[in-house]
Amino acid sequence: MIDVAPEYDVIIIGGGITGAGTARDCAMRGLRTLLIERGDIATGATGRNHGLLHSGARYAVTDRESAAECIKENLILKKIARHCVDDTSGFFLTLPDDDLDYQKTFVKACQNAGIKAEVIDPEEARRAEPSVNPAIIGAVRVPDGSVDPFRLCSSNIVDAKLHGAHVRTYTEVIRLQVRQDTVEGVEAVDLRSGEKLSFRGRVIVNACGIWGHHIASLAGVNVGMFPAKGALLVFAHRVNNIVLNRCRKPANADILVPGDTVCVIGTTSDRVRYEECDHLSVTPEEVDLLLGEGMKLAPVLAQTRVLRAYAGVRPLVSADNDPSGRNISRGIVCIDHEKRDGLKGFVTITGGKLMTYRLMAEQATDMVCRKLHRDIACQTATTPLPGSEKGGIEKVLKKVWPTPTLTQKALLGRAGALAGSLPQEEEAGGSDLVCECEQVSVSEVDAALKHLDVHTLTDLRRRTRVGMGTCQGELCSCRAAARLARKASDPALARTQARAFIEERWRGIVPVAWGETLREASFTEWVYAEVLGLDDTL
Amino acid sequence: MRFDTVLIGGGLSSLVCGILLQREGKKCLMISAGQNALHFSSGAFGLLGCMPDGTPVDAPFEAFSALAPSHPYRKIGRTLCESYADAAVPFFASCGIPLQGFGRRNGFRLTASGSFKRAWLAFQDVPFFSSDDALDGKRALIVTLDGFLDFYPEMLSDGLRRRGVESRCVSVHLSCLDALRGGPGEMRSVGIARILNRETNWKQFGREVRALLDGEDLVIVPEVFGLEDRIVNEWIAEMIPAQVLYVGTMPPSVSGIRVQRLLKNAFIQAGGTFLMGDTACDPEWAPDGTVRCIHTANLGAPGIEADSFVYAGGHLFGRGIESHPDGFSDPVFGLDVVCDADRASWVERGFFQAQPYMGYGIGTDERFRGLKDGRTVENLYVAGAQLAGCNSLQEGSGAGVAVMSAMHIAADILKRTENVGE
Repeated sequence: MIDVAPEYDVIIIGGGITGAGTARDCAMRGLRTLLIERGDIATGATGRNHGLLHSGARYAVTDRESAAECIKENLILKKIARHCVDDTSGFFLTLPDDDLDYQKTFVKACQNAGIKAEVIDPEEARRAEPSVNPAIIGAVRVPDGSVDPFRLCSSNIVDAKLHGAHVRTYTEVIRLQVRQDTVEGVEAVDLRSGEKLSFRGRVIVNACGIWGHHIASLAGVNVGMFPAKGALLVFAHRVNNIVLNRCRKPANADILVPGDTVCVIGTTSDRVRYEECDHLSVTPEEVDLLLGEGMKLAPVLAQTRVLRAYAGVRPLVSADNDPSGRNISRGIVCIDHEKRDGLKGFVTITGGKLMTYRLMAEQATDMVCRKLHRDIACQTATTPLPGSEKGGIEKVLKKVWPTPTLTQKALLGRAGALAGSLPQEEEAGGSDLVCECEQVSVSEVDAALKHLDVHTLTDLRRRTRVGMGTCQGELCSCRAAARLARKASDPALARTQARAFIEERWRGIVPVAWGETLREASFTEWVYAEVLGLDDTL
Repeated sequence: MRFDTVLIGGGLSSLVCGILLQREGKKCLMISAGQNALHFSSGAFGLLGCMPDGTPVDAPFEAFSALAPSHPYRKIGRTLCESYADAAVPFFASCGIPLQGFGRRNGFRLTASGSFKRAWLAFQDVPFFSSDDALDGKRALIVTLDGFLDFYPEMLSDGLRRRGVESRCVSVHLSCLDALRGGPGEMRSVGIARILNRETNWKQFGREVRALLDGEDLVIVPEVFGLEDRIVNEWIAEMIPAQVLYVGTMPPSVSGIRVQRLLKNAFIQAGGTFLMGDTACDPEWAPDGTVRCIHTANLGAPGIEADSFVYAGGHLFGRGIESHPDGFSDPVFGLDVVCDADRASWVERGFFQAQPYMGYGIGTDERFRGLKDGRTVENLYVAGAQLAGCNSLQEGSGAGVAVMSAMHIAADILKRTENVGE
């Protein structure tokens, strides 16, 4: 038998931020790297969180190890991923219901973890961030910020590919090839074509977040995951410019994070069954809780339209019996299954946080390198991601767009220095807008369709923010679907993609369907069904 | 200020009712906030396209008896509905709006995605056929405009192909539109239609299309012409040696805006007073529970008195009803809204499923007089999309309910005042 399966040094399973970061790190260290993801990138917990660039302050009191990791990575991401980061700073607010003594404990713990925490006068906090509850009795300023997880994940993927990595999305691993005590490769299926695929790898990295439980079981080993669901709400406006936290032990719905044009309140934390992880929905109780607690941080939320609700699952690793998972460490878990289970060539990287993805990737890649007997130093802490090169954005502003339009500014925010390389002005019609809410142009959409592994409109949304604004895709989904169909030379995609996208947007609207949100949805219903006839079966 | 009838809302239902009353000598005031459903028109009026269970309907009047007794058509009754329907085409023609139709049977409108949708009447120039196989076997040239993203030739072409209609998609560059491009919100149907209203511009379009034609039977173009006068559509068609079909675009609807303007003009010409950009608020109640007067946001005190009030404020989008986390309400009069109490049952999980909330509306008695705390408000009528008892999107009955309820209310008001005169 001739084995023609391509061979890699390392195969990473999982296209979330951990897998993407690991693929980048491995590729930068010269390893022949393959990343396999069963859906699109950033579809799991990566894309379903606050987008908070933690300072670590939140964990300073309860989880010092995570806190220290967070602040270290916070400072690194502000350098290497500056086009993904909004350096807003953050407040920890004490409300009349909260114990002001906790503030002292909190500040001390921050200092111990190396996090700058500055107690400020409530009056100053109200001045700096007018949305805060005027009743606050205490405020501490910390170096929190916000980060766009889709952009961060995509940038890591782009850089991994620039360093020679192969990336296969919509490819599901169905079996691990285990011979005696060694994992030697994976068998997968291309979910779009149905083609069966086989890849040999000297080390396999399981970076599937909560789904790592399943991949581990394919290898015959057990990783005890604790699926902790967190629900969040997106508001239609950016009501705050500074991240707002409650200064108390971490609890439900006590963080409000501004991100691009919107802001996000979250989260809840409840254990769910492993089987539920693929079909999460947000309950009315969760919505009411998030709204009620959110208004305590920023009362204006009571009058702010809720755009949508979503939920993710934290990939926590089981500890003692803890019904909410709040007390499980957010620390990184990197398992060498050879040491633990006697299974060679298999590594699981899990736990951790979006914030610490780079460090997780570094630890996983270090382990891979040890197994391959390669001694190459990690450089991800100092090498900027594509788009964040030193002086790159400034150069674009100086040489390409001295007076950028609103669309160009928005693009710079999304693509950083890469924005300058888009054929914005050269191609006729390139500056026509596909998405007016988020200022996404035809050329940005076309570039994403061409270079960023986009197969569906939802993939496109993760790359460009198409459909993420106040109209929730009403105006842009058909425009973008038509573009996608044209690029793919498959006219049928225009209808199916527009329909699928609007269904996906609707799922997030259902839990918050009242007021202006329902009003806007009723208009979308009318246009899509009655005017465009997209409800008809052809 | 005193009127015979004050109409709240400036959409199809209010306009039809107002014109009928004003033409009979009633002194009417219409309060319009601005946009209404006509601005987002599909180009056709639906009467009953399918039953609440989804069964398609070809002969709508015959299907009325199977509707729930609370349905507006059942309140009017089939015989009266048929007489209103017979009166509708001459009525709209008298307002300068010629309509196409197939008597008491539904026709089929070609949608922008290449499907055929059942409807009762359609504006002139809208592709509207007696059967859904009218285009089978033909060849089409689908023409769009460079930079116009709200018309989807690929989607239309794909839809038509599945019906056996082969098509070719082309795009025409009109330099007169260049100034619109790049600005958010400007390269939309109405902005384009304003520019293409100029003779040199639509003639250039006609010439370009004629040059691109290669023996196709049909030319399908986005409906961005004839904003001021639909005769332009005929003139363009005369330039092109093929059947020209104007297919609706993403809103706003050029023909809907034209129809709205024609109806508004007819109301004003008949002597009606049209209050633009204002909203009704703060009604004052008489001791017998009737409405004594209404205020508006701009006019303030004193209130506007009338014998009768017609409330046609639209559905959620028109703000005729509002929703909150704990229920639905009428923002102006506080009338009873018929809806499910439990928030979880307002919506279905599939976007294109029949959505329960779309069927919520204001409860009325048999004569469409609004109910407040279960009791009829004797001089307050409710018309159009605001009415409970039908899911007009799912049934394809929006315009039908608007027109029928408007005609029924106008007749009721006229009959009542005649009786008073006797």
